[in-house]
Order: sequence, then C-alpha cells, then structure tokens
Amino acid sequence: MKLKTLLVSLALVALPTIAFASGGPEVKFVGTQAERTDIESLQRGARLFVNYCVNCHSAQYMRYNRLTDLKLTEDQIKQNLMFTTDKIGETMKAAINPKDAKEWFGAAPPDLSVMARSYSAAAVTGSTDAPAEVLAAYLRGFYQDDARETGWNNLVSPNIGMPHALHELSGTNKLVEAVFKADGKEMKTDHDAEMKARAAFIASPTMASFEHHVEKKDGKVANHYVVKTLVSAAPGSMTPQQYDIAIADLVNFMSYVAEPHKAKRVQIGILMIFLLGFLLVAAIWLKKEYWKDVH
Amino acid sequence: MASKHASMFTNPVLKWVDERFPMTGMIKEHMTEYYAPKNFNFWYYFGSLAMLVLVLQIVTGIFLTMNYKPDAQFAFGSVEYIMRDVDYGWLIRYMHSTGASMFFIVVYLHMCRGLMYGSYRKPRELLWIFGMLIYLCLMGEAFFGYLLPWGQMSFWGAQVIVNIFSAIPFIGPELAVWIRGDYAIGDATLNRFFAFHVIALPLVLIGLVAAHILALHEVGSNNPDGVEIKKGPKGNRWDANAPSDGIPFHPYYTVKDIVGVVVFLMIFTAIVFFMPEMGGYFLEYNNFIPADPLKTPAHIAPVWYFTPYYSILRAVPPMFGSQFPGVIAMGLSVMIFFALPWLDRGAVKSIRYRGTLYKSYFAMFIICFIVLGYLGVKPTSVFGQFGDWAKFLDTNEIATWVARLCTVGYFAFFFLMPWYTKADKTKPEPARVTAH
Repeated sequence: MKLKTLLVSLALVALPTIAFASGGPEVKFVGTQAERTDIESLQRGARLFVNYCVNCHSAQYMRYNRLTDLKLTEDQIKQNLMFTTDKIGETMKAAINPKDAKEWFGAAPPDLSVMARSYSAAAVTGSTDAPAEVLAAYLRGFYQDDARETGWNNLVSPNIGMPHALHELSGTNKLVEAVFKADGKEMKTDHDAEMKARAAFIASPTMASFEHHVEKKDGKVANHYVVKTLVSAAPGSMTPQQYDIAIADLVNFMSYVAEPHKAKRVQIGILMIFLLGFLLVAAIWLKKEYWKDVH
Repeated sequence: MASKHASMFTNPVLKWVDERFPMTGMIKEHMTEYYAPKNFNFWYYFGSLAMLVLVLQIVTGIFLTMNYKPDAQFAFGSVEYIMRDVDYGWLIRYMHSTGASMFFIVVYLHMCRGLMYGSYRKPRELLWIFGMLIYLCLMGEAFFGYLLPWGQMSFWGAQVIVNIFSAIPFIGPELAVWIRGDYAIGDATLNRFFAFHVIALPLVLIGLVAAHILALHEVGSNNPDGVEIKKGPKGNRWDANAPSDGIPFHPYYTVKDIVGVVVFLMIFTAIVFFMPEMGGYFLEYNNFIPADPLKTPAHIAPVWYFTPYYSILRAVPPMFGSQFPGVIAMGLSVMIFFALPWLDRGAVKSIRYRGTLYKSYFAMFIICFIVLGYLGVKPTSVFGQFGDWAKFLDTNEIATWVARLCTVGYFAFFFLMPWYTKADKTKPEPARVTAH
C-alpha cells in the first residue's frame, strides 16, 4: 500500500483559517518581516515557549540575554522567562533530564534552536516562508488517540512521540475519517471519488488532510481517498481563534530563535543594495569614459 | 638579472624593488601590455567573477576557521555559535555558503562561454585542461566542505557519495573504508574532510588558477567571433607589433570588469541578506537538523550543482546486480569534457559561424544538462508513473526514463561530435573581429 499525504495542501488549508483568525489587531501569520518587528507577538511567544516547551525541549544555542532583542530588560527576563537557570548569559536548557525523556517518549525531545528553519516537509513547496507554516500546522494538528501510549497523535506527523503539550489551551480534538472510493453508484469512477474527496477536504472548516491510497490486489489496482478532519471534543481555556493566535505567536518566536539576526540582516541588505547602486552608476560612467576611444 | 623592461616607476622604493623583482615586467605582461580582443561581450565577465568568488571564499573561509570545530560532537554547535555569538559571524557564514553556489553558477557560465565560442580549440587545449582541473578541484572542495556543518544532509549526502566508490568491483568496499577512515561517516571522516577543504584543495586550486591564467596569457584570449587576433593585422595605438584588434587589458577590461563585479555583488548581496537559503537550494532545510546516523531522511539529494551528474548515476540501471555501470557513466560524464578539444573537428570555432547541425546538438546538450539537473533535486516519482501498458519497462517512473533520454542526449553531444562538426555547413569566418 502506498500512502501519499498531501502535506502541501494541508499547509495551504491551514493558512486561510489562520489568516482569518489573525484578522485581529496585532497578529499576522509568521514568516514575513512585518512580524519580526511585532514585538508583542514575540513576547507572548517567548512566554508560551518557556512555559510549555522548555520543560522537555532545550534551545541550547539560544542565550536568555539575547531576549533583550524583544525590548525586555534583563530583570524582566529573569523574573518572567527564566525557570531552568539563574544566569542571564546561559542558554535555554530543558527542565527535564534527557535520559528520562527518552524513556518516556521513545526519543529524546529534539533541540529547538533551529527547529523552525528545519521543517523540511516545506522543501516540497519551495517557499522560503513555508517551514514556519508547516510547523504551525503541526502544532495545531494534535488529536486524541487512545491507541497511542501518550494518548495523542498528530495529523501532520503521524505517530510522533510528542504529546499535546498545549492541550489545556486548545482543548481536545478528535479525528474523523471519511473514505471515498468508486462504488458504481454515486461515485462511478476513481475520478468521481477523488473529486468528492477533494471537495470534502476543501470544504472542511477545520484542519484536514487528504490522502490517496493505492492497493494492489491480485494484479488489480484499487484507489481510495481518505479525508481526515479534526473536530473539537472538549474546549480548552482558549477559544479556537485565541489558540490560533497563540500558535502564530509561538511559531513567530521559534522563527526568531532560529535566526535572531534576521531583522538586522534585512536592514543591512537594503543599505548594501543602495550603496552598490551608486557604485554601479559610477562604474558604468567610468567604463564609458575609458571606452570612448575604442572603435 | 636585469629586468627586460625599464622600470615604470619614479618612486625610489618601487624602483629599488624593480631592480630586484620583475614587478614592472609582470604588470606589463599581464595587465597593461596584454592585448585582449576588443569585442568581448556579456559572457566574458565570468572569468574575473570566478576569481572574485575564489578570493571571497578564501577570506570568509579563514574567518570561519577561527570559530569552527571539526569535531562530530561540536561541529553543528560551532556553526550555530558562529551564526549567533560571533560578531557578524552570520554574515561571514552566509557569504561562504552563498559563495559556494555562486562559484558554480559563475563557473558553469564560464564553461558555457568556452563551449559556445570554441575557446577549447587549438591552441587553447591546455588552457581548457587547466580549467577542467579547476572544475574538478572545485567539486572536491564543495563536497568536502558540505560535510563540515554536520547536519543531516551533510552526513547523508557524504554517505551517498562515498558509497558510490564502494560500487567499484573488488576494491570498492575497502576503498570506501579508506576514504571515510571508519566503517561509517564519523569523526575521522569529518577531520580529514576539514583538512582537505581548508588546506589541501585550496592550495591546488590556487596553483591551477595561476597556471590557467599563465596559459591564457601565453596563447591569448579567444573572442565571440572565434578568430585569432594574433593572425590579423599588426599595430595599434599602443604598440606597433601588437594585434590591431587588441586593446590593453588594463585599463579597458579592468574598468569593464568593475561593472560586472558590481552587478554580481548586487545579486550576491540580495541572496546573502534577503534569501540565504535560496528556497532550500543553497542551504537545505534538512541541514538545520544535526547529523543523526540512525535517522535516514526521506529524500536525499546532493546540492543543486552536482545534480546533473547525480541524475545520470540514477538513470543507468544496475547491470549484473551492480551499480557500477552508473558510476562509470557519471564519471565519464564529467571526464568527457577533457576530450573536447580533440572531438571538435568543425571548420570554425564560434557558434556564430556554425551551421544548424551543431547548433541543434548544442541546444540539445544545454537542455539535457538543465533537465538532468532539475531531475536530480527531485525524487524519481516527480513526473508520476506510466500506466499498466508500460509493464515491459524495468521501472514505471516517467522521470527515470526522461533522465535516461537526457543522458543519451548528453553523451551524444560528445560522442557524435567528430561527425556532426565535420558535416556541419558552416558560414565563412570574418577575417577580423566584428564590432562589439
């Protein structure tokens, strides 16, 4: 059996909902320069990060005192964001012992320093902003699954060891699966089944995935299409809209942690292009002067 | 030994040097009295740009070495240290990573120029061979350097390339162990690759570049018309014996190359500051995950500049249960460039005066090269599969068959060259270079 999960479509479907949720005053979706300067979003993201992520994950290349980038004083950082160390120049270490973590989750929780840059499913889309989008989709993709040891599963990364760390905020989602295959009646052909599945996938108001399964039996090929959607089973302390904003904040912060110098980089770049532009004019003029006598 | 040139300096210190070192002689020979054809076009920027990138790579490389740790435990972390805690370390690192890809872009365009205008033809065979050796050296530099960040793609990319050697019959597996210094890519491999990357190959590279330029100045530059200015009329404003169609390299081409340099730097700057990952092609997303020998990434592809050859490797089916034929095809696809001066039997050098036959083969070659490069970065399932009717094929993947077709096209350009260049209906070459 071949399983083809269309992560790309998944990320694309996740987008409009987030865009809608971010109709609010401050938060937009992650990735562009505008958000990098949205200090409030980054500050909220930092709070979520130290409260929910650093329990198990480290960000071992990120120093606490760099958070002064977010217009926080060292005292504010010490009082509000530092739980695992008291030295402001220290890097973000996990609260948990990595050996215990490995025993509990099957694998040591990965370091999150450059996680936002690595979200490699995004390589398929070819967009430079995509890693953060896929990361956001992943964080929103948890659902309850009693078959798993942790009790959680994920639509974006099936059977991942990580439990839903933010469930008290988001509430609990359950998975609903709909299978579409040619039945000779409403869906005469595979094509009909696929169209029907795609329609259901696009129409889903919540996060969904679209899968194409091919089964080969006795030399015959059977196609069927599965649409998985997440539906709310129990509410959390945040409304879905608030939770989407929280995830956007968190991913925004993780993108910042992955490349703290990005904002500065872009500023210098604009200046450099201007300077080179002037140099270009001078260089062209110089060349023309010298080449006047070449015929 | 007295210099054969009278000193061009009035400054007493420089005069003193000139009596003991051929400074004036070298400046004249290689700059002010080196006569280059006056009709160079856009394609002639890439030689000087390749030199620029080489210098950039060496200088940024020196600064990276100051903080990088060639140790499997610390390599990944030391790169992140450079990116975060070293002042402007991120800039140096991005310049180096962007420079690697830009080096190949510039060199591919430089080589394409050589192909178009027949710059490899007599008397420039050795010049072409030096250039090819530089290209091989560069591929080695890129391969060794790519392991150093010790990310997932570094590790698995190196694994794939070293495994290519283990496909060689009889000695293969031993050879692979010898290259790695271990049974798997590990700390020993990282250390030796670091040594090759920062000292061994750069030394060879600089020597070859010097030889390339000396050979160029010995035979003189070709030009878009492919006619020899040395065989044309003599005498110009600067020298009664110099070719009439030549102009002094300095100041004419130095000031012209400055324009090229600034345009290049604008593109380079835009990449470094605005899109250093270049959509995952210059810095692959997977390489932000530390190397993990226990986790194989779903899709391993070499960096884009190797992918045409990688595609050829993948396209050749295994024969007698061995991948070796693919390895031979890949090796041959690189080495065949060396034979170019002796494969081409055309009456003219430049594509401007070649006939339709040559132009068709050339166009086919360029298309094959680009398509192979594209397919090399994608999984073989990229174009989908043939239907059930194609059962007689050994694989249903359309992309594999497209790659095979392009591989045949790639080699046809070289292997059929002696015939189609001879049969080609060429136009008459002009006696002198045409207006630029």
